[in-house]
Amino acid sequence: MTDPLSPHRHDALAWVAGNDAPEKSSVNLGFLPLTDAASLIVAATQGFAQPFGLTLNLQRQNSWSALRDKLIGGELDAAHGLYGLIYAVHLGIGGSPAVDMAVLMGLAQNGQSINLSAPLKAAGVTDAEALRASVRQSGARLTLAHTFPTGTHALWLNYWLAAHGIDPLRDVKTLVLPPSQMVAHLRAGRIDGFCAGEPWGAQAITEGVGFTLATSQSIWPDHPEKVLGCPRAFVEEYPNTARALVMAVLEASRFIDQSQENRRSTAQLIAGRDYVDAPLAAIESRFLGLYQDGLGNAWQDEHPLRFFGEGAANLPYLSDGLWFMTQLRRWGLLREDPDYLQVANQVQQIELYRQAAGALGIALPDSAMRSATLMDGKHWDGSDPATYARSFALHSMASPAMAAL
Amino acid sequence: MLRILLIDDTPRKIGRLKSALIEAGFEVIDESGLTIDLPERVEAIRPDVVLIDTDSPGRDVLEQVVLVSRDQPRPIVMFTDDSDPEAMRQAIRAGVSAYIVEGIQAQRLKPILDVAMARFESDQAIRAQLQAREQQLAERKRIELAKGMLMKMRNCKEEEAYTLMRRQAMSRQQKLIQVAEQIIAMNELLGE
Repeated sequence: MTDPLSPHRHDALAWVAGNDAPEKSSVNLGFLPLTDAASLIVAATQGFAQPFGLTLNLQRQNSWSALRDKLIGGELDAAHGLYGLIYAVHLGIGGSPAVDMAVLMGLAQNGQSINLSAPLKAAGVTDAEALRASVRQSGARLTLAHTFPTGTHALWLNYWLAAHGIDPLRDVKTLVLPPSQMVAHLRAGRIDGFCAGEPWGAQAITEGVGFTLATSQSIWPDHPEKVLGCPRAFVEEYPNTARALVMAVLEASRFIDQSQENRRSTAQLIAGRDYVDAPLAAIESRFLGLYQDGLGNAWQDEHPLRFFGEGAANLPYLSDGLWFMTQLRRWGLLREDPDYLQVANQVQQIELYRQAAGALGIALPDSAMRSATLMDGKHWDGSDPATYARSFALHSMASPAMAAL
Repeated sequence: MLRILLIDDTPRKIGRLKSALIEAGFEVIDESGLTIDLPERVEAIRPDVVLIDTDSPGRDVLEQVVLVSRDQPRPIVMFTDDSDPEAMRQAIRAGVSAYIVEGIQAQRLKPILDVAMARFESDQAIRAQLQAREQQLAERKRIELAKGMLMKMRNCKEEEAYTLMRRQAMSRQQKLIQVAEQIIAMNELLGE
């Protein structure tokens, strides 16, 4: 019961025929070469958009900053996005003037990784304790790369390091690189490790230049990861197009997660030159939840990359948006507390998502808040973001006195 | 500066529009009487605007306009002495962005051209959206046709047919429409 082209979808087609027809039928969609862009690639190429009156034009971008600029400039209507990128642009801390932004839906949960270099492995730096000892004693600080100053990878890396008593702002150096360039930089010895999406962690292992120290799902099982983001003006000007877009991507997400065979075919598709452009061998295993860390350990992950989860991966939870703001505040990227709930309510397009998911018979949770316990044992439920942001031993918040200056 | 192709389809000598255009600061890059190769000339010299000066837009003129609109879309401004509403309607239908009756004063040219350009851009955007819609519809029909053929061949249900087509497309890094076309072609080859 999942195919948008089948006759039992006549209710969905009513969107197209009636007054809810998309105002704009051709949508430019940006993405980065990462396996978690799969639902957009599948939606655009496998006939999931036409039944909703849309044509999706995929436009691959080389870096998150390029994607951000085109999203703000209007060359892209919507895009595969980092939570922290969308909020940073909205709050005006993303290296660009503030532009009102919208999160239409979640695209994926889990599936990122922190990886270190082969020389560190050879030196026995293969776990948190050894890394902590290494950063304390070595003269030159280690250089770890992530993908965008306010992005999820910076925040996962910071969270993991801080949870192990390593100060991400003092004990290591960090720099920004496009995800697809991580392996080349690791091989050249220009970085000692990186945090990014797949397949770049797996590819580092395949090429023998690195190993996986931690998965992002070990930080927060079923954590929010990529979203479908756009300027809020797009939703306001083309609400029916935005809803149809969410519906098409939801159907594609459901298809990918429906069976192992569908997942395997999806891995084959996205390996293509026009999409992720990486060897299938690097993509497929982790796409199916099979992990090897390059240290001899192999496992079937309990919280692998997922696109649907009966809609649990797709609702733009208020608490997910709030969490990223607490971390931007924690690390001093936000100098003051924003009006957390008000901002999250502006950005997260929950009503639009409800309409789209409702029309497709996808379950909607009762609450737009969800709770989780993260790797350091801290509980998060979205109820008091300002206090939560202040509750970490390691942080980089200016003191209230400093802020007053 | 706007580059203008000027077509003079009047018995008068070229002059009444050209001098007004130059006076208003435009660049007239080519000028001539109406010939049968207007689309080729538009393609060769790539003007920003085509201006047609004509006593009355006859069928020959409008046929040329239709061809330019189809193959080399440009803002087309028509200056004429013919105030018949039906002639105006036909000209607009053929693809003229602005239809100006007896209005050749240098100071009026700039706003007229501005309006014509804006009108042209909005028409183009609407046309692109319509084309995208038509293509979606056409692709859907072809995919439905292939699905029907596959259901018959494999004796399977609709959803299974879609899934089979998608898996095939994805494993070859193709779009669904490509696999649909292959199924249709194969079906034609094998015959009913």
